[in-house]
Amino acid sequence: MTDRVRVQELAHGALASLEANRQRIDDLNVYPVPDGDTGTNLTMTARSVVDELDRTTTEDRAGLVKEVTRAALMGARGNSGVILSQIIRGAAETLRTNGEVDAHTVAAAFRSASDAAYRAVRQPVEGTMLSVIREMAEEGENAESDGLTKEELLIRLVRRGEEAVARTPEQLEVLREAGVVDAGGAGLLEIVRGLAATAAGEPLPQAPTQREEITIEAFHQDLSPYRYCTTFVIEGDELDSEKIEHELEQLGDSLLVVGDPEALKVHVHTDEPGRALAVGTRAGVIDRVEIANMHEQTVQRERRLLEAVPAAQPSSTGVVAVVAGNGNRRLFESLGTTKIVEGGQTMNPSTAELVDAIEAMSAAEVVLLPNNSNVVLSAEQAAGLSDKLVTVVPTDSLPAGLAAMVAFDSARSAADNAAAMNEVVEGIRTGEVTMASRDVELNGLSVRKGAWLGLANGTAVAGGSDFDDVAAAVAERLLEEPRDVMTLLTGADEPELEDLLRRIQEAHPLLELDVQAGGQPHYPLLLSAE
Amino acid sequence: MTLTGENTTIVLDSTADFPEAPERFPNWRVVPLYVLFGDESYRDYVDLSPEEFYGRLRTSAELPTTSQPTPGDFLTTYEELSGYERIYSLHLSAALSGTYQSARTAAMELGDKVRVVDSESASAAIAMLGLAIQRRLDRGTTDDEIDKLVARFKEDAGLIFTVDTLEFLRRGGRIGRASAWAGTLLHVKPILTIEREVIPLKRVRGNQKAMQEFVSAFTSATEDSPTLKVGIAHADAPERAEQLKRMVHAERPHAEVEIVTTLGAVVGTHAGPGTVGFFWFDDRE
Repeated sequence: MTDRVRVQELAHGALASLEANRQRIDDLNVYPVPDGDTGTNLTMTARSVVDELDRTTTEDRAGLVKEVTRAALMGARGNSGVILSQIIRGAAETLRTNGEVDAHTVAAAFRSASDAAYRAVRQPVEGTMLSVIREMAEEGENAESDGLTKEELLIRLVRRGEEAVARTPEQLEVLREAGVVDAGGAGLLEIVRGLAATAAGEPLPQAPTQREEITIEAFHQDLSPYRYCTTFVIEGDELDSEKIEHELEQLGDSLLVVGDPEALKVHVHTDEPGRALAVGTRAGVIDRVEIANMHEQTVQRERRLLEAVPAAQPSSTGVVAVVAGNGNRRLFESLGTTKIVEGGQTMNPSTAELVDAIEAMSAAEVVLLPNNSNVVLSAEQAAGLSDKLVTVVPTDSLPAGLAAMVAFDSARSAADNAAAMNEVVEGIRTGEVTMASRDVELNGLSVRKGAWLGLANGTAVAGGSDFDDVAAAVAERLLEEPRDVMTLLTGADEPELEDLLRRIQEAHPLLELDVQAGGQPHYPLLLSAE
Repeated sequence: MTLTGENTTIVLDSTADFPEAPERFPNWRVVPLYVLFGDESYRDYVDLSPEEFYGRLRTSAELPTTSQPTPGDFLTTYEELSGYERIYSLHLSAALSGTYQSARTAAMELGDKVRVVDSESASAAIAMLGLAIQRRLDRGTTDDEIDKLVARFKEDAGLIFTVDTLEFLRRGGRIGRASAWAGTLLHVKPILTIEREVIPLKRVRGNQKAMQEFVSAFTSATEDSPTLKVGIAHADAPERAEQLKRMVHAERPHAEVEIVTTLGAVVGTHAGPGTVGFFWFDDRE
């Protein structure tokens, strides 16, 4: 057998072993960037070497070494591929001169490979491919005096490699937090495993079988509590991406709606893919539908990946907010509220409930958002009764509380947060539409029991039997000065807003409208302008 | 050795979003990263223009991924530049991409001829660093002077950007500490910067508020001067870029807006349509 044929065989063995584990290695990838492609990159890099060897007719060692080294360099994909290309180079260089390849040559090749890999990286990090190749090199040197054959030595190197890979989470915190071993190290181990089996003339060991089929893997690098990854394209005329986005937001998360008025692409994680598709068919024609069940393992991986993202600064401040309505609860939580106390108009929480919520927080400092003028007093009492450093931002409505939450940053102190929140709240105007519970006379406005009553900044400004007219009058009052964004929170009864939104948008074409299902009782509509 | 435009070349990667560089400067080259739609691979700006990319993003059922250039890609470019004595190779933050590692690996093949620089930044910032180096090459400079410039650029150059949604940054694994803001249901505009990695600064509501944040960050960090250089980059949002340009002329009338560019396919894959980036550097001597 010529050197060329022998090296072809070995390279094919290494590649086959790597390919069998490609998906598993992709799934391990959290470092340096958690983008799930280490297995793919290593496989592509190894394949470029194999392809070159399949093509070449060169028979002399030095010529083969040169071609392999160049092919690895030219084909190296991703960071792990680049490091692999240097490992291949280092190993190949020791094999340049003719002569018997024995255990000593193999040990020297691993040493040279390790040195070349370390040289390639500006700041070598332990717990990666680098530490795995280094430990294998050390094992090769330690075994020199044991009189092993090269086949026996390779098996020892695989064992040591397995230990080195298993140790990577102890060496690199991001791996430990994610509960995974290093992807690049795991890939390198499979390459050496393939070499060892091929050298010994044995079949490749079975790759671990507990793999999941991930059909749209690119989407699954984010955490989602939902089961179905749903993607489709909507085609139609004058598609309203904001409206579609808004409808889909209620169904799940990880939402992307991109495109133009003729074609929109939708991606959403949801438990109700049917309802998501219905949003599409109401707006236009849907096409290229893909619904992937994100199995438990995928969900777990996503959770790992998200946790592996460099931790946000330790949160020093948390928020307790008094909120009514499930939609509003979700809005507050998505903006970083740590604890919700149920309550609002006609169901004010007690001071004791607020104190309990504050005491239950892990953060040392707390911002308290009463979100109703009737709750401000008990909030201030609760703040005084708690041992924690509590600052009350006296928000008198849910929209004001939401605006305050936008300015929240858990890394800052409660006092700093309160200052930023107060500034936002001062710049906001809020309104509401409710049903008059009795005949009322307010600011010269008489409203019959059962009719709609509109308030702006706490003052009655409109009343009547037409919901749209009353709501539009409130909106106009809030928009007396130019504003950028109007938020509309719909109540538990979910009023139909299409005409109202059109009226507001026609009068204020540059205004951004953000409609959210708040689900609060008593107020079919809460509004704010900022 | 005195470095000039005749003996020194500048190599960027395509995330500098400066595709016209080789036309404007005979001593500049751009090495493309790759954009992948499924198994189809495209070279950024070469096989896929930003316009084609955003069009494709709208209609493709599959969302793209990206891949760094191979060391071989850099080596080929470096070897084509054998007539030059010095190569400055300027790249996307090494914390965001392995592009720097690929360039560095290729550079090792050529001894100390190539100097590979981790810009610790992205997009137009990389191009602006190149332009600052070029101004020195035009009058003659040294490695030492360029080293000092690079260090000052990393320290002083300003970058602020906003995205329409954090989903793209999250999906590509580049969201960093801004992950705490992902999944917000209310429509908010995150204001972000890059210091090696993506750093969250503030969140606000509405494009106007976002613009005001840009203005206050810019005006509090700069003085009006002809040495003040500004770059603007946008993903499919030319009207916002235009608005920023007007703002610069109003606030810092002597400053030079030296780059207005579209974000290419690679940066666009990770930031998403609607992204607007704003860059500045006072290149005083």
